[in-house]
Amino acid sequence: MSAEPLPHFDREPELRELLAGLDGKRLLASLRTLLGAHVRIASTHDDTVLGGDAPPAQRARQALGGELETLGYLETAAPASPQLEAAATLVEMLIKGVQRYHMASDLHLESVAADYEKLQRNHAALLESEARYKALAENLEQRVTEQIRTLDTAQRQLYQAEKLASIGQLAAGVAHEINNPIGFIISNLNTARTYVQKLGETISFIRNAQDIQRAAAVLIQQDTAFLLEDFTALLGESAEGAGRIMRIVADLKGFSNIDRAEEELADINQKIIQVCNVVRNTLQERAALNTDLRELPLVRCYPGRLGQVLVNLLLNACQAMKTYGHIHVKTERLGDEICIRVSDDGCGIPPEVLPRIFDPFFTTKDVGQGAGLGLSVSHDIIRAHGGRIEVQSEVDVGSTFSVYLPLLALPKE
Amino acid sequence: MADYDEQGGKLTLKLVYYGPAQSGKTTNLMRLHDLLRPEFKGDIMALETHNDRTLFFDLLPLGFRAPSGLLIKFKLFTVPGQIGHDGTRKAVLSRADGVVFVADSQRTQGVNNAESFDNLSHNTQRVGIDFNKLPLVVQFNKRDLTNILSEDEIRQRWGKSPWPLTYSSALIGAGVRETFSALLSQVYRAIEGEYALNSQHGVGEHAFVTAALGETAHEACA
Repeated sequence: MSAEPLPHFDREPELRELLAGLDGKRLLASLRTLLGAHVRIASTHDDTVLGGDAPPAQRARQALGGELETLGYLETAAPASPQLEAAATLVEMLIKGVQRYHMASDLHLESVAADYEKLQRNHAALLESEARYKALAENLEQRVTEQIRTLDTAQRQLYQAEKLASIGQLAAGVAHEINNPIGFIISNLNTARTYVQKLGETISFIRNAQDIQRAAAVLIQQDTAFLLEDFTALLGESAEGAGRIMRIVADLKGFSNIDRAEEELADINQKIIQVCNVVRNTLQERAALNTDLRELPLVRCYPGRLGQVLVNLLLNACQAMKTYGHIHVKTERLGDEICIRVSDDGCGIPPEVLPRIFDPFFTTKDVGQGAGLGLSVSHDIIRAHGGRIEVQSEVDVGSTFSVYLPLLALPKE
Repeated sequence: MADYDEQGGKLTLKLVYYGPAQSGKTTNLMRLHDLLRPEFKGDIMALETHNDRTLFFDLLPLGFRAPSGLLIKFKLFTVPGQIGHDGTRKAVLSRADGVVFVADSQRTQGVNNAESFDNLSHNTQRVGIDFNKLPLVVQFNKRDLTNILSEDEIRQRWGKSPWPLTYSSALIGAGVRETFSALLSQVYRAIEGEYALNSQHGVGEHAFVTAALGETAHEACA
């Protein structure tokens, strides 16, 4: 498109412009033949438009009408005649034809320009919206990354909370476990203190006694034989209690390294015994726990995390009990993998719930009882070991969770 | 945007008949050509397709000479109504001094009327005309047909708009003069100040309208 503004289609062109579209020589020649004399077409200002020469000295002229007003004149050297009028009518008709053509073509150009301008406007609008979407897309990526980071952090915090919650549950059981021996150890120590006092008194009596008979009588009177016997028993019981505490503390240590991200060769059965010891007290009010641990090769794993899985499974089993029930833990080697099965005879899991139990945040427990992450986290941990976790369950019969771990090396995280 | 040629002593006003396809714009012009008797009246120049539908425009030139000698010339245009000719409509609408919106009274044409009116308001702004200041008359045509909106219904829908409403049957010539007359009054009020029609050229509103219609043209220009 040229930058030059288009002529308006409805402008009023002058006679010269209208005649420019015609073959002037042939028009003049024809007019001359028709009128038999010299011919000139002049503007309203008496300028020659066609015919070249000066106005004829003796002339007749006929107006050439435009839309409304006179556009010019047809002049001839011959006197006025009907032929002159007819010739002027012919020229008018020619001029109208030319004008029609001019208007149509100019309007066409204007409308094409208008359409083109509209296209350009649409194009500009498209470009603008494209740029907007581009910016949005770039922005979107960044925002999604930020959101993912936020979610990631939140998830990690939730997993941390879940871990703390199961540790908290454990701690309650463990506290009870430790409290018991400590209670009787303290009681024994108090008794021992009175025994030591009595023995001291007896010794001082004996030291002050004048004769051996009297001393012997004091010994009998003070029942020293029983005292010594019971004292020994007290010490034995206390030592045993302290030993129990020592064992519990040692087992607990297995959980203290939950976050240790280094894999190590571990004895899974040993790990299970530790975990059972720690949770036994929590379980014992609701279920009997028994184990059937077959010989297993050492497994390369993250023992702390496997411990967490086992605690989860055992606590879930315990919570599934409506009445006093049984929990059975079994390990065995099956070809290239080892299998850990935790079975219970609790309430079971309804079939409609079963497909969702490993989903994060899915829980059937009351609010505050769990975040719904226990099995989800367990699932993730087993997956990180290259293993899998499966469940079979029947309502009112019980559930069995089976964890399969490969004997091959752990995949690198 | 009237075209004032001071040297040539001529003021040209462009009036446009706008509206949906086949609402009777060309018929309005043909009846005006028959009915009006102004001092000057040209032939209708029609640019139509073989099936008589307006391709580019129709043009009816009219005019009268003011007492001052000024030739006041009206060029009445129609636009093609078909949706596809929007570029042509815009070009014809450019520089318009007044518009008659020819609506089709038939009940089935409500949507077409609305779309066309919307197109008019949109295009006036596109070609640089302030739609709010544009002299405009809304004509409901085809009153001779059955199944048309009643005047009450039309008043309900359009009564609150600022534009004069007229009713016509262009085919039999009823109402087309009244519509044109209503537009002339509005156009006069819009341009009078700028061209000092009354003070310098001796043309008041009544004279302006009647001379253009040709009712008392000779008295007005006497």
